[in-house]
Amino acid sequence: MNFSEGNRAIVAALLAALLAAGCAGVKQSATPSAPAAAPAAPAATAPPPQAAASPPSSDQAAAKPAAKTAAPEAKAPAKPGVAPPPPSAKAVPAPAAKAAAPPLDLKALETELKETKAIGVMTKLSLKNQVDDLLSQFRAFYQGKLKTTLAELRRPFDLLVLKLLSLLQDSDPTLAAAIAASREAIWGILSDRTRFASLDGG
Amino acid sequence: MNTRASLAALAVAAAVVASAAAADDATVKKDLTAVIALQGLPCGPVTEVRTLGDNDYIASCQDGNRYHVFVNAQGRVVAQKQ
Repeated sequence: MNFSEGNRAIVAALLAALLAAGCAGVKQSATPSAPAAAPAAPAATAPPPQAAASPPSSDQAAAKPAAKTAAPEAKAPAKPGVAPPPPSAKAVPAPAAKAAAPPLDLKALETELKETKAIGVMTKLSLKNQVDDLLSQFRAFYQGKLKTTLAELRRPFDLLVLKLLSLLQDSDPTLAAAIAASREAIWGILSDRTRFASLDGG
Repeated sequence: MNTRASLAALAVAAAVVASAAAADDATVKKDLTAVIALQGLPCGPVTEVRTLGDNDYIASCQDGNRYHVFVNAQGRVVAQKQ
């Protein structure tokens, strides 16, 4: 099991899916003059007043969630009910698939996020805005431009995941469960400077 | 006879179109309700929607608030109180 690759892939897929889904079919309004007054991410835009940390290592509050990463990650593979298992293929030999043990069917998850009817286009775009805002905060934090702590950044992250889950849980519980299972894995990447940089950069 | 059959067919077609439009309307309302909630703005369920253009709406909320919801030039979803 390659956890770090799996985690990175999960986050990448999630963000890419939100991005793609949000942008799909969205035409920008002919009202450019309108001031972008409403901050898309109330939680993400509120800079925590605490001037506590310098761009730190993952040994802060994040260490705990990051350490937990393995557990949900391990669940993830089972998760992807997202991956459509052909019902008729009863006698499919599992061993080969098990050997590879991909932590998550990322393509399927991405597709599910893009195509889920549980979230409308505007909502997907709004979520994408908030994901971008959160990533900007992490970027600024690691660059030392934002005086805050990882513990403080955990709050907007949790809020964003909760928003996503609340939007999905009734209409698309399978996808909601997949995302919930990936939560700590995603945080594990965001809270680790090196892993975030590799995600952010590439 | 023929005329009656034609009228009936027309009525059925109109009903189908109307129900499709209603479903579409409900989808937009749900979408806008989620967007406004995501922005942390007071609204409750969106009860009425006026479409101004592509991804450009006026949403009336159950609590009486009204918002102009649109995608701005920067690609951000904006909900402006009216």
